[in-house]
Amino acid sequence: MRVLVVDDEPIVLKSCRLVLEAEGWEMIPASSVAEALSILESIPPDLLLVDVKMPVHDGMYLMRKVREKRPGIPIIVMSGYATSETIKEAEGLGAAVFLPKPFTPDELADTLRSIAKNPSHD
Amino acid sequence: MFYSTRSKLLAGFLGVTLLVGSVSLFIGVRLIDQNVFGEALNRVKQDLNAANEIYHSRVKQVKISLGITTLGFAFISSVSERNTADLVIRLERMTRLAELDFAGIITEDGRTLCRMGPFAIPGPASREANPLARIVFEKRVAVAGTMVLDQDFLAGENPELADRARIPLAHRLDGDHESAQEESAGMAIAAAVPIFDGNTLLGVLYGGILLNRSEAIVDTVRDTVFQGEAYQGRSVGSSTIFLNDLRIATNVFGPEGRRALGTRASREVKEHVLDQGKLWTDRAYVVGNWYITAYRPIEDILGRRVGMLYVGVLEEKFAQVRRQALKMFILTTLAGMLLAAAAGVVIARRITSPIQRLIQASQQVQEGSLNPELGPPANSEIGVLQKAFGEMVAAMGRRREASELRIIQSEKQASVGRLAAGVAHEINNPLTGVLTYTHMLLRRKDIVPEVRSDLEVIAEATERVRKIVKGLLDFSRQTKLDPELTDVNRLVAGAISLIENQALVKGVTINFNPGENLPMVTLDRSQIQSVIINIIINALDATEAGGHIRVFTAVGVSGDGAAQEGVEITFADTGCGIPAENLNRLFDPFFTTKGVGQGTGLGLSVSLGIVQRHGGHIRVQSEIGKGSRFFIWLPIQRRAEHEGVGG
Repeated sequence: MRVLVVDDEPIVLKSCRLVLEAEGWEMIPASSVAEALSILESIPPDLLLVDVKMPVHDGMYLMRKVREKRPGIPIIVMSGYATSETIKEAEGLGAAVFLPKPFTPDELADTLRSIAKNPSHD
Repeated sequence: MFYSTRSKLLAGFLGVTLLVGSVSLFIGVRLIDQNVFGEALNRVKQDLNAANEIYHSRVKQVKISLGITTLGFAFISSVSERNTADLVIRLERMTRLAELDFAGIITEDGRTLCRMGPFAIPGPASREANPLARIVFEKRVAVAGTMVLDQDFLAGENPELADRARIPLAHRLDGDHESAQEESAGMAIAAAVPIFDGNTLLGVLYGGILLNRSEAIVDTVRDTVFQGEAYQGRSVGSSTIFLNDLRIATNVFGPEGRRALGTRASREVKEHVLDQGKLWTDRAYVVGNWYITAYRPIEDILGRRVGMLYVGVLEEKFAQVRRQALKMFILTTLAGMLLAAAAGVVIARRITSPIQRLIQASQQVQEGSLNPELGPPANSEIGVLQKAFGEMVAAMGRRREASELRIIQSEKQASVGRLAAGVAHEINNPLTGVLTYTHMLLRRKDIVPEVRSDLEVIAEATERVRKIVKGLLDFSRQTKLDPELTDVNRLVAGAISLIENQALVKGVTINFNPGENLPMVTLDRSQIQSVIINIIINALDATEAGGHIRVFTAVGVSGDGAAQEGVEITFADTGCGIPAENLNRLFDPFFTTKGVGQGTGLGLSVSLGIVQRHGGHIRVQSEIGKGSRFFIWLPIQRRAEHEGVGG
């Protein structure tokens, strides 16, 4: 199981690595949308965990690209400040689940597991 | 604006006063003029009548004197005997007594028997034309009246008379030149009486007074009619006898102080009186002065108009009366105008001063005062205006307080919201790290118990931070309303069912009494439901076990004066109550009375925001120890102005 985690915050990337590796999953970090897009070209992941608010290009932009280039990859959207509008937009772009920050390791693992079990959840 | 109103009022008052004043002046002057002049004319007319009376009484006197003389027996026998010596004596006596200028006796054959004067007893051949005697011989009755006698007659009677009759013509200004340089005929008051012996006409006794240069009649008129009334040294009245239009006897004086003999009457007078035989009364220019005059024609014994009788009063005298009357009248009118103007000023001030105060009051209101000085209440329409103004300002004050409160509330919410959003976004990333690392550490089996319990403290504290941040986010997340037509009773019942278990656990009962015939309300169901839940949870927290919470709904109008129709949801608990000092801060963000970690102090603030965005309001009543009542009022029809608030 390979998960691509996109967030501009190093602490979030580190936290995710800790949890995912403990679960026995492969974690690929990307600290920007551009980096995530280049990784997507070379190593297609099984799952995408994306932050909404990032400099240059945001999570929504990335989701649009993924929908074009790699449709079928389940996407989990996370955000520290989400309005119902952003949640609706994310769902419209194919996000499977919305995960509010902060989250505990259990919450993250449970969410990932439920998506991994049900990849067609969208 | 104010000053122009006052000056308009003043100008109005002064204008009306001036108009009324000048009209009354004009009319008054005309009336006084007419009255004084009319009065003068009347008086002169009466004076002329009196003069006429005097003139005719003189005629009668002459006639009577002659008549009495002819009645004497001795006189008759002297006439029949041609006793001229006796007759002359008798004639002399008669003329002296009757103040005649001439007298004589004509026998039935036309001879002058005897007469007064130098030719007292003419010879038997003397047959002079005697117009008087001729009339008597024709008519055989006595005649008396005015007679114009020619120079020959007068010379025959007495050359002195002929001289007296001669009056040189004065120079005339109007250029009516006549060839004659003097008037030589005489005008006389004369009478002729037949002398009868039985039925036999023996002759005629004649006699008369020459009026030319005679002062007797005119001065008698002046002295009896005007009684010596003088004005500035001159006699007010004057009288004149005219032969035709020539002054032959007068007490009108010329500029040199002589009687104005030989001057003529004006052409208008002459035409009016002599030619047309009418009475003349008007002002006229008489020998250098203006007079109020009256003229009447004098007819001779044969009925021919031969002269005029005149009286006149100096116009100057009436002019003075008129001037005095005018002066009094104008002064009175001016005084009245002044009074009216002063009254106008006072009234204008009384009208405008409360208005000025109102203007000042409105300036005070403009500068922010809501308790402006209105001055003493006026008891007119302006008083009504003052009252209305006062009420308006008071209403403005109430509304401003209300809107200030609302503005403060929404400003608080907005600033807290912005802060919360920023903080939450920044905090949540590191918080994710803290939570992850703490929990990952706790998963390890190789840690000593003390470290584990310390880690658990970190985890709990972090969990609290997470809740606070979530509350902040909820508060700031004032999303747009998603209104739907809603049955409020069903909404409330649904909300209660969500908390009922929690209440049961605490031992508090919740009763719901749904109001009947409640109208449907357009509202955002999930947001209003969260408000209801929030308020019930607060009530639950304040109520001890065994207490109860009553919820009921009813139709109600808004309490802000607009009397809008709406629905009111009431929550009454039997809890501890809210102290008065906390009531005002109840809806402030972060205000809480709950213990640390039990509440964020954002619930009521968020609830109020939601209700206000619906155009409604929340009221609170509370009594310490007895409980609190929360009232949520929601309008049936949402007012447009609330759509955008905080959205």
